[in-house]
Amino acid sequence: MSNQIPGDENTGGIAGHGSFFQDANLSAEEATRATDWVRKHVDRRTIDLGERMDDIREHMWELEKEGEIIVHRITDEHEPINVKTLFGWDKKVPTKQLWHHKSCGQCGNIPGYPASLMWFMNKFNFEPGKDYLDETDQTSCTAWNYHGSGIGNVESLAAVFLRNFHQAYVSGKQHGHELGHFFPLVHCGTSFGNYKEIRKYLVESAELREKVKKILGKLGRLVDGKLVIPEEIIHYSEWVHVMRNRIASELQTIDVSNIRVTMHAACHYYKMVHEDAIYDPTVLGGNRTAVGSSVAQALGSQLIDYSTWYDCCGFGFRHIISEREFTRSFTMDRKIRVAKEEAQADVMLGIDTGCITTMDKNQWIGRAHEQNFSVPIMADVQFAALACGADPFKIVQLQWHASPCEELVEKMGISWTEAKKNFEAYLKEVEAGNIEYLYNPELALGGRA
Amino acid sequence: MQEIYDEIRSDFRYDHELNGCLNCGICTATCPSAQFYDYSPREIVQLLWTANVEQIYDAMQEKIWACAQCMTCAARCPFKNSPGGLVMIMREVAIKHGMQSAKDVLRPFGRVMLKLITTGNQLSPDMIQPDHFPDWGPNIQKVEGDLKTLRKAIPVKTLQTVETAWEVSLKTSIEMYTIWEMTGVMNSLETMDENLFDVIEDFIDEKRDDYEDWLEEQEDDD
Repeated sequence: MSNQIPGDENTGGIAGHGSFFQDANLSAEEATRATDWVRKHVDRRTIDLGERMDDIREHMWELEKEGEIIVHRITDEHEPINVKTLFGWDKKVPTKQLWHHKSCGQCGNIPGYPASLMWFMNKFNFEPGKDYLDETDQTSCTAWNYHGSGIGNVESLAAVFLRNFHQAYVSGKQHGHELGHFFPLVHCGTSFGNYKEIRKYLVESAELREKVKKILGKLGRLVDGKLVIPEEIIHYSEWVHVMRNRIASELQTIDVSNIRVTMHAACHYYKMVHEDAIYDPTVLGGNRTAVGSSVAQALGSQLIDYSTWYDCCGFGFRHIISEREFTRSFTMDRKIRVAKEEAQADVMLGIDTGCITTMDKNQWIGRAHEQNFSVPIMADVQFAALACGADPFKIVQLQWHASPCEELVEKMGISWTEAKKNFEAYLKEVEAGNIEYLYNPELALGGRA
Repeated sequence: MQEIYDEIRSDFRYDHELNGCLNCGICTATCPSAQFYDYSPREIVQLLWTANVEQIYDAMQEKIWACAQCMTCAARCPFKNSPGGLVMIMREVAIKHGMQSAKDVLRPFGRVMLKLITTGNQLSPDMIQPDHFPDWGPNIQKVEGDLKTLRKAIPVKTLQTVETAWEVSLKTSIEMYTIWEMTGVMNSLETMDENLFDVIEDFIDEKRDDYEDWLEEQEDDD
């Protein structure tokens, strides 16, 4: 059937398009075949090893051989665990000697996120300063600003990436370790997507490498005159994913089998440079990226799928600041309402700063439109920490969340009121200077433990 | 107009982001912004693909700013196009040319840019306050208390700050300023918002003086 605009016969245009569009005049059979082809490619994840999908890591090895770059390697000392990515490639996830590359959104807004992660590392008897490092010598990835405003460019993003990852490479020195001792663990989904995209551009473009080499040289951040690029870019949720069974078997103290969990995976985790995202056939049939869902499953909670799992949260970078109607409408209509109505979710888990902020903070205004839906929103690692007995206030820091976490915590068998009372008493101690730390604070400033 | 189109096309990412277009519309079908704005990633790809210079220029006046940069379009496209990536190239070109649309759209984003360029963090606890986000409700924190004390109660040393998301060392900030200057970010900022640029320049000068003083102190100690 032609979709020529009635009365538009003279222009030859197709409905909704300009005159340069021509009807393909496909037969019904051809149209079905074409549609099937599209469906095959978009409805399910596909293992696509086509020529446009080179494994960028292979090009990194070549560049290293040619003396162009140094690859920050994952060694046996990092105790890596292999996982499969969307395209069936192996990805090494280091479990130890990690350099916490923080997220400005998490640290500024959801501090229980990094605190829960470090709490887990302590629970596994990791030694701060040897098995992990959290230090002040790092900047934000700057990608929120870039995607929000367009102020910034590939060169600035690349220089920031290389600066921060150079610091990760050399950071062990002041603590008596070899170069490359600590491997970067990226906390933020946007940083993760951005760094992987930029790494691709750096490997593909000699011109870009040349430009940023001048900058890194000026900053004193070349090693033997070369750029340092990490073998893998690792997101914190990937660490949680490979540690999930140890978390459940060694640390879990609370039965969460009565908790209905919905999962929102960050777009920039699996839609940017999607070939590198982790998939596992044992997690929702391998049709969703595994991270986040896998830990909920390992802890024994009820992981419930829902129809808008693929939608973004509505964050939109610029939108959450200056187009707030879009952000809050999208998050309420497409995520919170659906999680509540379809899945009767007790909680929505996320793996990224922007998603959790968006879905957490924008529920209250929904009432103005008679959308009285509310669901607690937190990170996978926060939920896991709760299930392992972490304090909801001191460690999981749920006091910063706007969504209603109280009922969930009570349903898990933890007394919210008791925990709150204890925390309020602790605040008096804090005022008196008696502060509890997860690690020796001097480490953050470069001092030895 | 032709110059603007040529500039978009000459970006080294262009061929990476645009490979062809079946016009299938899967990008628009799953685009969050398409549900709320007069915006379609399919249209962006088609405009660039068919080199429709005038309409490309028009799209840069408003439409490109609707994109939420979620990259759902890129993940779904059977041709491995990235409409979201093309939008970023168009935004950068709009800024370089000082287009009014870019100035208008970015004005409310100034606070984030100020925070980022001066501190190396994009967000800080003092920005997430009820005064700035009345639509987040009256109780966006579950425990009453002074912000500084609440931050001190986080058991991670680097997070016990208020004006930055984490404590950033002075040397790190200075390195950041060098990156901004050498990559032309400061020039873009000046094109977009001269007042903001002046404020940031003053701040950077002051920080650099502080750093010089600190370096001298270190030498004296040696």
